[in-house]
Amino acid sequence: MDNSKEWHWFKGGILVSILSLATYFIFEALEYRNYPFGITAGYGFVSAKFASLFGSLNENPVIKRFSEKPDAFIEFFILIGLIIGGYTASKKSNTFAPENIPSTWAKYHGNSLTKRYLFVFAGSILLGFGAALASGCTTGNILQGWAHLSLGSIVAGLSFFASGIITAKILYPKLRGNNDAN
Amino acid sequence: MTLINILFGIIVGFFFGVILTKTGVTKYPRVMGMLLLKDFKILKFMLTAVISSMILFHLFSDISLLKLAPKSLDWGKVVGGLFFGTGMAILGYCPGTMAARIGEGKKDAILAVGGMAIGIFIYALMIKGIKGAFLSSEISGDISALIGINHWLLIVPAILLLSAIIYFVNKKFNDHKKIF
Repeated sequence: MDNSKEWHWFKGGILVSILSLATYFIFEALEYRNYPFGITAGYGFVSAKFASLFGSLNENPVIKRFSEKPDAFIEFFILIGLIIGGYTASKKSNTFAPENIPSTWAKYHGNSLTKRYLFVFAGSILLGFGAALASGCTTGNILQGWAHLSLGSIVAGLSFFASGIITAKILYPKLRGNNDAN
Repeated sequence: MTLINILFGIIVGFFFGVILTKTGVTKYPRVMGMLLLKDFKILKFMLTAVISSMILFHLFSDISLLKLAPKSLDWGKVVGGLFFGTGMAILGYCPGTMAARIGEGKKDAILAVGGMAIGIFIYALMIKGIKGAFLSSEISGDISALIGINHWLLIVPAILLLSAIIYFVNKKFNDHKKIF
């Protein structure tokens, strides 16, 4: 892992706060509502498109919300932008590195694609279900929600960490790292 | 209008993606390192963003240039949060970094997009039961109104607490130490 070209966490953090504020104002200018930007509704938009294959689900309140509200539409394009941004930034800094599975995972859990993909599939279903139920992900509930001192988001964010820390410990009970700084 | 929305979404996502990738918070070992309480770069990045946004949003709200949108508290936040955290630790990324990782050429993130959409789809199918069980009673998300004090009396201690956390983990843990 080459970390030498990474931006400092402080720079990244300040830039995110400026982006959050700018986005908030633009969302308002586009005449929707004051809306902290999030990511989850973008995946909700994908779900709603999938659900439209089944006509009987058109009246489902969740599907209806994700297919009709403009923020879900915009957040879908935020996802597209994220892909382009991740590509551009990694190409520019020469960190673009195609891989099937994370090398850290492979080191501890083996090179099996099937195993990793089964975990990814199960994990991402939990992630989607959880984000929908908690009405937001890390971006919506922590980066935005904590900044708004929003009670629901503070609790949701602490829940993310609580179960995340436990699950990580189960997956990596022993670490083999050394103390060399590299 | 639609074209403006599309452009707006792509531009916001682009900048967000560049920041996430450039800062290195999309990296699997960084996410797992944070959840294993060994690598706190992502936490420092997030808390810096939270502190800075907290000040900016509340200042602009005080001069009525924007209206805050606090999320209410219900059991869905607790239970959904637990599901989410479990998924995040299994994947090693969250929904936002998932998309940026696709751009970085990480193939398992593509599968995760499908899983994420299916997770939301399952939620939609179960919404009737979920509403009764988790979303029926809620508490307003506006803490300062809830306990009846000025919001700056919450913001200042919150910033002090978060800054102390940043200071502590920054002093105690090296961002470049190899932990795996």
